[in-house]
Amino acid sequence: MKSDSGTQKLFLGLFFCGLALATFVLCLYLFSLSPKEAFQAIADSFARIREELFLSLWQTLCMVFLSTLFSAVIGFGLASVMIITGPQGLAPRPAVYAALDAVVDVLRSLPFIILIIFIMPLTRLVMGTAIGTLPTVLPLTVAAAPFAARIIEANFLEVDRGVVEAARSFGAGIGQIIFRVLLPEALPAIILNIAVLAIALLGYSAMAGAVGGGGLGDLAYRLGYNRFQNDVSVWCILVLVILVRCIQSAGNLLYRRLR
Amino acid sequence: MIEVSGLEKRYGGKAVLKDITFSVARGEVFGVVGHSGAGKSTLLRCFNALEDYQAGSLKVMGREVKDLDRAGRKQLRRDMGMIFQTFNLMGSKNVFDNVAFPLEIWGIAREKRRERVMELLELVGLADKYKERVQSLSGGQKQRVGIARALALSPKILLCDEATSALDPKTTIAILDLLEAVRRELNLTIILVTHQMEVVKRACNRMLLLDKGLTQGIGKTDSLFLAPTPDLKKLIEDEFTLIPTGVNIRLWFPREISRNAVITGMARALDIDFSIVGGKLERYLDDVRGFLIINVDDRHLERVLNYLQEQKLFWEVMDDEI
Repeated sequence: MKSDSGTQKLFLGLFFCGLALATFVLCLYLFSLSPKEAFQAIADSFARIREELFLSLWQTLCMVFLSTLFSAVIGFGLASVMIITGPQGLAPRPAVYAALDAVVDVLRSLPFIILIIFIMPLTRLVMGTAIGTLPTVLPLTVAAAPFAARIIEANFLEVDRGVVEAARSFGAGIGQIIFRVLLPEALPAIILNIAVLAIALLGYSAMAGAVGGGGLGDLAYRLGYNRFQNDVSVWCILVLVILVRCIQSAGNLLYRRLR
Repeated sequence: MIEVSGLEKRYGGKAVLKDITFSVARGEVFGVVGHSGAGKSTLLRCFNALEDYQAGSLKVMGREVKDLDRAGRKQLRRDMGMIFQTFNLMGSKNVFDNVAFPLEIWGIAREKRRERVMELLELVGLADKYKERVQSLSGGQKQRVGIARALALSPKILLCDEATSALDPKTTIAILDLLEAVRRELNLTIILVTHQMEVVKRACNRMLLLDKGLTQGIGKTDSLFLAPTPDLKKLIEDEFTLIPTGVNIRLWFPREISRNAVITGMARALDIDFSIVGGKLERYLDDVRGFLIINVDDRHLERVLNYLQEQKLFWEVMDDEI
């Protein structure tokens, strides 16, 4: 919100400090000899893992992008219905609202790893198979959509009721109020929350390895942890840190543009 | 234009408006006055069907609001613009887009929209600020945008919900002058809800005084203020500390005699002394009116009253409680 150029530079600085620190840790892992040898070792390690690292990055990007997109769209739909039927809504329907409210909360209370396994039959039905990167998008979406619905609903509730009333006072209908009043007014805040959601999904996607989804988390777990290739873990962490920073920065940038 | 009879509105079991009856003529500026929570904003929202009502009749331009279907309500709202205390502009849009919004809702073509918006901004004196974001405007400018937006669909009636309550006195007067100007130019009928007495006095021909959902008074603004009912007195805090001895007399100055020097004339004619306890002269729609409270000795009372009677003045002997 107040992220002027000063604080941004600070964050950038912190980020590079983190990067340097990670490199240092990497050197330690590689029994750092001289800096030159250490750099050589880093280059070797990167060359060895490069292909797999980029493949995993691509898988992670696919999972995160698609599931964020789908859950944002579904969440927007659910939030719209909830805001219309809710207690202070434009057309209150207590029964509809209570049902949605319950479904959303039940889905949100399931741990993701349980949810993946729980909805496997559904995944198989919809995607043909339950194993792989793309099929994993379904459980990710199912896990994130209720979350998205809640935050978008909260953002809608934040919109000044007076503005909605003004729109009604010159004849706007429910659809027009949603798309032309609530959405544009709440959009900056929604964007920020979507960035948070995408980062949460990045975390969830690490568990996708459990069903063959692949991705950076899976790579770090398979090679880094199980096969004691610590350098692989460090590479994965580095890429994940950069990814998170990128997502958050993109969110902040869009927020500032739209506000 | 608007006819209300026996209107009743309940929230759950609680009646917030009870047996309201009045009518508003075309071209009038009608004030609805009361404390906060008196039900005046709720009453206003019944006019354009933002609130429903449970009993009685409310006819706007001959249409019973309660009986309108969705399309009818939409049309009704097109015929009534509304402005608000908190302006209720969209922060995500600039001045132009805010004013254009009702036109967009009604599917007016882009070219026509542009023309109409610039015309309206010209009318409210903000044509040079059409690109500005609404957050950067002052309160008075925001309300001007609000007025332009409310007039976008060429309504016949303008509803003002505490439209000047968030503005400083000078801006309030500027906005009231603007409202009067657009009323004249566009032949509008204005319903003005407010708790600000200066606003009612300055702007309204007639007014309705509401308290706890009940009508406490209705009539011409000046006559209501010059002879206030106990409720109105309470509302306008028309209280003076009276001198305990002697008799306190309140003299009204209606239009015809407000400029004559009645008080000094009386002092000379009767050759008596009296004290002036308090008084108020105020500007109403078009003229200055007011009252003066004097305190006379008991022994002069009869002569003074006789004199006032002769001069055809309006007066009232005040008791200590107000």
